[in-house]
Amino acid sequence: MALDMAKYRQIFLEESTEHLAEISRALFDLEKEMSNTEAIDSLFRMAHSIKSMAASLGYDSVADLSHRMEDRMEGVRADGRVRSQAELALLFRCLESLERMVAAVAKDEEPLRVDDELLRLLAEDPSGPAPTELASPDPVGGEPKKVLA
Amino acid sequence: MARVLIADDASFMRQMIREIIEPEGHEVVGEATNGIEAVDLYNELLPDVVTMDIVMPKRSGIDAVKAILAEHPTACVVMCSALGQETLVMEALQAGARDFIVKPFKPDSVISTIAKILEKGND
Repeated sequence: MALDMAKYRQIFLEESTEHLAEISRALFDLEKEMSNTEAIDSLFRMAHSIKSMAASLGYDSVADLSHRMEDRMEGVRADGRVRSQAELALLFRCLESLERMVAAVAKDEEPLRVDDELLRLLAEDPSGPAPTELASPDPVGGEPKKVLA
Repeated sequence: MARVLIADDASFMRQMIREIIEPEGHEVVGEATNGIEAVDLYNELLPDVVTMDIVMPKRSGIDAVKAILAEHPTACVVMCSALGQETLVMEALQAGARDFIVKPFKPDSVISTIAKILEKGND
């Protein structure tokens, strides 16, 4: 059976926009209190939800980044707190990237490729990279690249 | 054909499951958006099958399935999992969930999984 994917694309746009706003709120809450459990749980769930929707629609780069973000948040949940300012900055950088990607989908473009540097930083030790590494975020960088066939 | 309760906090996923199973003759009797609602709606509606997302607000799908099975040991619950949730799926299966389906959903897989657990339930 075939599903009406155009309908789901629209739902994806609506739900991800809401989720990104919630991620933004959660990050600002974490900026004030790095052990805010509600914000940590919310960030984890929002990343998970975006990942599932994106994977269903074949937006691989969105699914990949939100999956890495979810994994990172799993560690944060286990430790009960965001572990450094660098880690918080990294999560803000993920948000910026996801916002750009969803904006591209909204404009009927395919999501931008997520840059390898961001994925590498997400996979790094939880104590995080030196803050200077995150001083000039360039979440996606370069020319838009098609990721879907 | 079965009366189905769908538990997922994402409208996207609830609609997708509904669109997959309704043409097969199943009736969606309720939709829950968190684990607490899932347990409450199960007790109220006593559906034949529940599709239960693992990651939900207020109460996780794992906690919800445990609560449902504590009260209704024969409940048919299918977990909806995503990449990287193998440990949680195992925990749910050990708690008594009948099976699991993996996101992104493949319609044929969703349909056959529900058919299989209904068949086993009728044995």
